[in-house]
Amino acid sequence: MVNYATAAVEKAGVMRGLVSKNRVPLGSEIYNRILETLYDEAAALDERRFDDWVAMLEQDLLYTAPVRLTRSGPNKDRDVMRTMMHFDDNYQSILMRTGRLSKSAWAEDPPSRTRRFVTNTRVAECEAAGEYEVSSYLYVERSRFDNPHNETLSAERRDIWRVVDGAYKLARREIIVDQSTLGMSNLAIFL
Amino acid sequence: MLQKATFTLSDGATLDDLVMRDSYEVALRVMSDEELYKLEMERIFAKTWLLLAHDTEIPNAGDFVVRDMGEDQVIVTRDRSDAIHVSLNVCPHRGMKVCTAEAGNAHAHRCIYHGWAFRPDGSFIGAPVEKEQMHGNVLGKDKLGLKKARVEVYGGLIFATWDIEGPSFDEYLGDMKYYLDQLFCRTDAGLEMLGPPQRFVLPCNWKIPGEQSGSDGFHTLTLHRSLMEGGVMGGTAESIYDNAPGMYGVDVSCEQGHSLRCLEAAQTFKMFSDISFEGKTVEERLHMLPPPGITENLIPQLFKNLSADQVEQLATIPPQVGGLFPNILVAFIFAPRTDGGSSGALALHTYVPRGPNHVEFINFIFAEKDAPEQVKRDMLQNSIQQTGTSGIIEQDDADTWPQIMRNARGVVSKDQTLKYQALHGHERPEGWKGEGLLYPGFTKDDTQWNWWMAYYNLMADA
Repeated sequence: MVNYATAAVEKAGVMRGLVSKNRVPLGSEIYNRILETLYDEAAALDERRFDDWVAMLEQDLLYTAPVRLTRSGPNKDRDVMRTMMHFDDNYQSILMRTGRLSKSAWAEDPPSRTRRFVTNTRVAECEAAGEYEVSSYLYVERSRFDNPHNETLSAERRDIWRVVDGAYKLARREIIVDQSTLGMSNLAIFL
Repeated sequence: MLQKATFTLSDGATLDDLVMRDSYEVALRVMSDEELYKLEMERIFAKTWLLLAHDTEIPNAGDFVVRDMGEDQVIVTRDRSDAIHVSLNVCPHRGMKVCTAEAGNAHAHRCIYHGWAFRPDGSFIGAPVEKEQMHGNVLGKDKLGLKKARVEVYGGLIFATWDIEGPSFDEYLGDMKYYLDQLFCRTDAGLEMLGPPQRFVLPCNWKIPGEQSGSDGFHTLTLHRSLMEGGVMGGTAESIYDNAPGMYGVDVSCEQGHSLRCLEAAQTFKMFSDISFEGKTVEERLHMLPPPGITENLIPQLFKNLSADQVEQLATIPPQVGGLFPNILVAFIFAPRTDGGSSGALALHTYVPRGPNHVEFINFIFAEKDAPEQVKRDMLQNSIQQTGTSGIIEQDDADTWPQIMRNARGVVSKDQTLKYQALHGHERPEGWKGEGLLYPGFTKDDTQWNWWMAYYNLMADA
């Protein structure tokens, strides 16, 4: 285990920035298509069209959400703890999750009403042709039963989207939530 | 039946009105009553042993993590002599938190407010501007340390209590130690926490998950129906109640309120249903189907660290789920994977009170330290996919408990009762080696009622 109580400065645990320097500018054709894809994805999830969502996923998908830790001193900005996650999924396990949602998944039956807001989208070219690094902010409002107070969650998503037969498909997603202690009762919804 | 001195709430209700020992009922209002909550903090959380951390979280001198004992925040540290200390995270000067980070390493904890400083063992070093003696001249430095809790490390698990002269940790574990050793004290290097715990807050009282941790096996058939539909546990969606997978075994418990469900894998999981241990030695059984978290290389260590009887149980009918009173859930489970493997999932939870209406769910995830790296990786994934924030099992629990909480506030609803009347009665199965209160057969309410009796005894004992 990585010792997260350590005083030594860690190389891991940093969140910020796109890795690639080859930015895809706002308003360009590729940027617009990717942004449109993110909006389509949010709509599919908000409308619980899980088959449509799965169709947007690549089979080598890695889908993770590391935990955050409140730290001080030399590691104060290294608070993304990739040794522990809220989601640690791949394509097969996502299929297991969506399959469950079609049966007796009481955590979402009756379903939540959700609204995913996707903003601050930045795009850069990956080294592999046809792959794009996409960083976006996500804000989720989740309404459950007759509770007038929504549960909310804010996060940055660091994705890799890949062009496949003219469409963009999700190959990597790392969801960096902002809370060290989540205020959402469960993550029975996708982020 | 009544003997003990107890308390009376402002509306006249006594402990016996809330926990009805003659009819095996508990008033739903216990989940929402604020006066009762304050008494629980004093009589349970400031008194009994509480699980805070694991020693692999703080491997080096000066390492610390910050945790909560009830609503009292503490610093869990390791000093230069390798001793572990638990100290209140409250500066004796002006009440500020001495540690503001969740984890770190420090040989001196300096309060950021006025600079009073403390060693990892909680002792006071001094205040800034030494010549002015800003700690005053009333109390000596030896009186100005952080308040210390009593600590016990068991199987690497760090427990603490404020009851300095109270029952020993062995008395707290009682007869359950025999079974818990099979989970926590079975290998040479012991368990390793794989990363910081998952933490999340639910809008419900701590006792709603708490009483479930008293080995509520029955809810699995209905609340966790998707496990049967997914083909993980024996049977199909249509035959869930006929086959009742995972319901038959031996529930073990004790008057301290702890319990564990011991289950044969073949009776629980579809993928193991063809395995027959008939005529096989203990060692052969371990190789055919190692208990959750145990790999081939670790099997010889089991014989070294446990008694022959303990190894036999682990090989045949291992403890899998249960809890320790008041707020610990144990889930050391077989976890069949989508890729066909099953290396198990080892998780502990604590349910930490955050006021009468909220609880923090802390999910500690483990593997054996000497398990192969790929197995640890698989087990981390198993635990995350099954338990905690996104776990497909526990997301259903996390959605159910707040709804019970909502009911506990209704003026009529609060006087309804929780019923623990499906009782089996203690019965020793033939050939069973361990001690404790034993309930063989279909899982019933006995262990959860024992949980409430432990609650009753602590609440009655001012």
